[in-house]
Amino acid sequence: MIRSDELPMKLFATTLALVIGAILLGATGPRPLAAQDLEPAQLLHPPADSWPLYHGDYSGRRHSKLTQITPENVHDLGLAWAFQTDQPAEIKSSPLLVDGILYFTVPDNIWAVDARSGHMIWHFDHPTTEGDHIGHRGVAMYKEWLYFTTPDAHLISLNAKDGTVRWDKVIADVKKGYWSTMSPLVVHNHVIAGVGGDMDNLPGLLRSFDPETGDVQWEWDATPPAGTPHRTTGGMTWVTGTYDPELNLVYWGTGNPTPVLNGASRPGDNEWTCSIVALNPDTGKLVWGFSASPHDTHDWDAVEIPVLVDGLFHGQPRKMVMQSSRNGYFFVLDRTNGKSLLTVRFGPTNWALGVDKEGRPIPNPDKEPKPDGRLIAPDEGGMTNYRSPSFDPKTGLFIVDAHPSYSLYFTKPADGDYGWAGADYGLWGKGILEAIDYQTGKIRWTHELGPGGAGAGVLTTDAGLTFTGDAEGNILALDTDTGKTLWHSGTGASMQTSPITYELDGRQYVVSGSGGVMFAWVLPQGSATSNSAQASR
Amino acid sequence: MLAMALGLLSIDVSGTAGQALLAATSSQVNSAAQRTHGSASAAGDAVYAAHCAICHGENREGILPGFPPLAGIDHQLTDAQIAELIRTGKGRMPPFATMPNEEVTALLKFLATAPATGTTSSASLSLDGRKGLQLSPEAAAGGAIFQQNCAFCHGRDAMGGETGPDLTRSKLVLSDVNGSQIGQVVREGRTNNDKKMPAFRFSGPEISSLAAFIHARVAAADAMKGGRRGVEVSDLQTGNLEAGKRYFNGAGGCAKCHSPTGDLAGVATRYEGLQLEERMLYPGRTARDTVTVTLPNGQEVTGSLAYRDEFTIGLTEHDGTYRSWPTEDVKYTIDSPVEAHVELFSRYTDDDIHNLMAYIQTLR
Repeated sequence: MIRSDELPMKLFATTLALVIGAILLGATGPRPLAAQDLEPAQLLHPPADSWPLYHGDYSGRRHSKLTQITPENVHDLGLAWAFQTDQPAEIKSSPLLVDGILYFTVPDNIWAVDARSGHMIWHFDHPTTEGDHIGHRGVAMYKEWLYFTTPDAHLISLNAKDGTVRWDKVIADVKKGYWSTMSPLVVHNHVIAGVGGDMDNLPGLLRSFDPETGDVQWEWDATPPAGTPHRTTGGMTWVTGTYDPELNLVYWGTGNPTPVLNGASRPGDNEWTCSIVALNPDTGKLVWGFSASPHDTHDWDAVEIPVLVDGLFHGQPRKMVMQSSRNGYFFVLDRTNGKSLLTVRFGPTNWALGVDKEGRPIPNPDKEPKPDGRLIAPDEGGMTNYRSPSFDPKTGLFIVDAHPSYSLYFTKPADGDYGWAGADYGLWGKGILEAIDYQTGKIRWTHELGPGGAGAGVLTTDAGLTFTGDAEGNILALDTDTGKTLWHSGTGASMQTSPITYELDGRQYVVSGSGGVMFAWVLPQGSATSNSAQASR
Repeated sequence: MLAMALGLLSIDVSGTAGQALLAATSSQVNSAAQRTHGSASAAGDAVYAAHCAICHGENREGILPGFPPLAGIDHQLTDAQIAELIRTGKGRMPPFATMPNEEVTALLKFLATAPATGTTSSASLSLDGRKGLQLSPEAAAGGAIFQQNCAFCHGRDAMGGETGPDLTRSKLVLSDVNGSQIGQVVREGRTNNDKKMPAFRFSGPEISSLAAFIHARVAAADAMKGGRRGVEVSDLQTGNLEAGKRYFNGAGGCAKCHSPTGDLAGVATRYEGLQLEERMLYPGRTARDTVTVTLPNGQEVTGSLAYRDEFTIGLTEHDGTYRSWPTEDVKYTIDSPVEAHVELFSRYTDDDIHNLMAYIQTLR
């Protein structure tokens, strides 16, 4: 029982205790308990305990500064937890990690998972019945909102706390043949979304949406409208681009022209299909474009990650953009103006006559598809595909999961000039990891990944480790200097996405998805060299 | 506009949510039509416009692949069957259980008349510019599943060529009855070779509807004759037989492993056309890869290669026993005769390939 004359004293004591408690909390906590949200500034300088966009950062290098896991201790890496999605679609998405919560996807589905325990917080599951359900590359985040593309080419904004839908906007018309699978790119107050749709003669496009209202801010079309005489359609934009904040330029790769295998109705270079383009993110205006596969007739989308690297090129400091392209060529461009610095092959190709003075491959007309078929290297899946390569600054190596391959390509008048307009058949291929010296194109080391091909993206870290997967379902940690295997674990399905890494509670995690399962890998507690872990014992 | 709205909202493939949804939206259209027409008209075309056009198209052309055309439906179903369908619905088609009898009768009369502009459908675009396909409701449902999951590799018309084979020429498809063969491949996928087809967890009815669609595509492809897409046997006859024979016995090196009267006798009877050419160029990773493993004690074990990655080597012995070892514990060598095919890829000219084909096709 409290006596009335004690009240003021108790109140004062309680208040004092509360105030002191608040001060202590503020002093010892890393930062105030924030809402689950992602401030735009964090996209520019991602903290160590985050992976806030598809690539981890705007550069697309997929290279982490974290060094807790090293070549010396990686053999102790083990499973922290696995999350089973319990559904048949393969995970192709790069997860986001923001404020201790992982967000990843398959078509029509988003999971929010506690990165500490691996348990599910919420699951968004809204089946759509139109559009290609071939895969999904992940969500984007802005403040407390997620942005999710759908097979029927919509952009949905959801509350990151519980997955409830805030708004639902159209990116493009699924009835015309568009679909979407990509993770949007958030730049300033723009959510930039792209599309797929090369089974119809449609222009590829990017749409920028207001992150709060979903209003369309601008649209960039890769080609003139369908039906423009002698001009191509195509140029789909189905992999996330990269961004240079200093130049304020967004870099994006575009897909193949349509009709796909029959180029007769679309003479010329077919801009801007199979191209690397630089756009102003505030206006959507094209600043420059580079045709990586001019007049393509083999479905070799140049959507692969345009990786941004600042460094020396033959003694000169350069702002560069690099792409290991589907057609088998590795390009290094000056990203201020799109001029070619280097063009080399990174695997067997047989379809070009050479490289022109602009650094673009010259297609051999006799290796276009023909009624009696042509043997083409690489196959339609290409020397590489959407999986992310990685650039390691210390070694200057551009590391990519390559797919040397051979195929037959056919087209004849009866196939028409709409959509695929022909047929192609893969014969053989394999997977091989290649570490390319970006200044010369020489391959410094390779690592065999297995027959058929692998499909995993690549992650490198400042500790000198390379993470990827092979064709048989093993996740691999390699020495970035030599390509030698330092650790592996069998996961039961080959990785079709790109690994990520982050630090949480003082421990470095690597997260990889394969089959329908997301795996989190970590060193055993206490074995890490972090001071806080040792001091607490 | 409404079609876009349908796309916006989540429609469960199995249909129950979709039925409720379509019923809701169609009742919205119904009340809108009543507002414009005043009291409900019994004229069949007004009934059709009010209830059916949003899915089956203004001119009964359908909206493929999901919503079938209705032109000529009176040739496929009796009036009683049509009336039953209208009342009970099917799949994603909602039931119109309370439609007045005179409206159903008017609809039946209307559906027996020819549409104003013929049967070409907006879906003609989705099948390479050719005319839209008349599909049964089951095949139409299978078509929707096909477009979402299969078309990317097998082509929207199932005639293949986008890395996946032409299903309309597939021996397996041709021997399939209502999904008997197709079901197994779809459920298990094909991961035991270089061409990876994923597995799909579809239900029995979904597999049946997929099979119905694929068989409809087989029929359509057959009807196309010279206009069909894909690779005909006649397309592959541009080579020179004598040059092919010389290549086989000379620069190609084929005669080192193969004999026209031995292992290749009758090969052109067993395979033809594109399939023969594909096998000629790369017969696939076969059980003929053999591996010899040397154990630490020096003992050698030989068998057919069963598994290999960086860490494990596995073989099947002659009697069928599977054995495996960590690669760090043993030494092994693999004999893979098919690798000679891979080595030729960088050496062939296209003329060599066509000439070889001309020669190989004589080995009946």
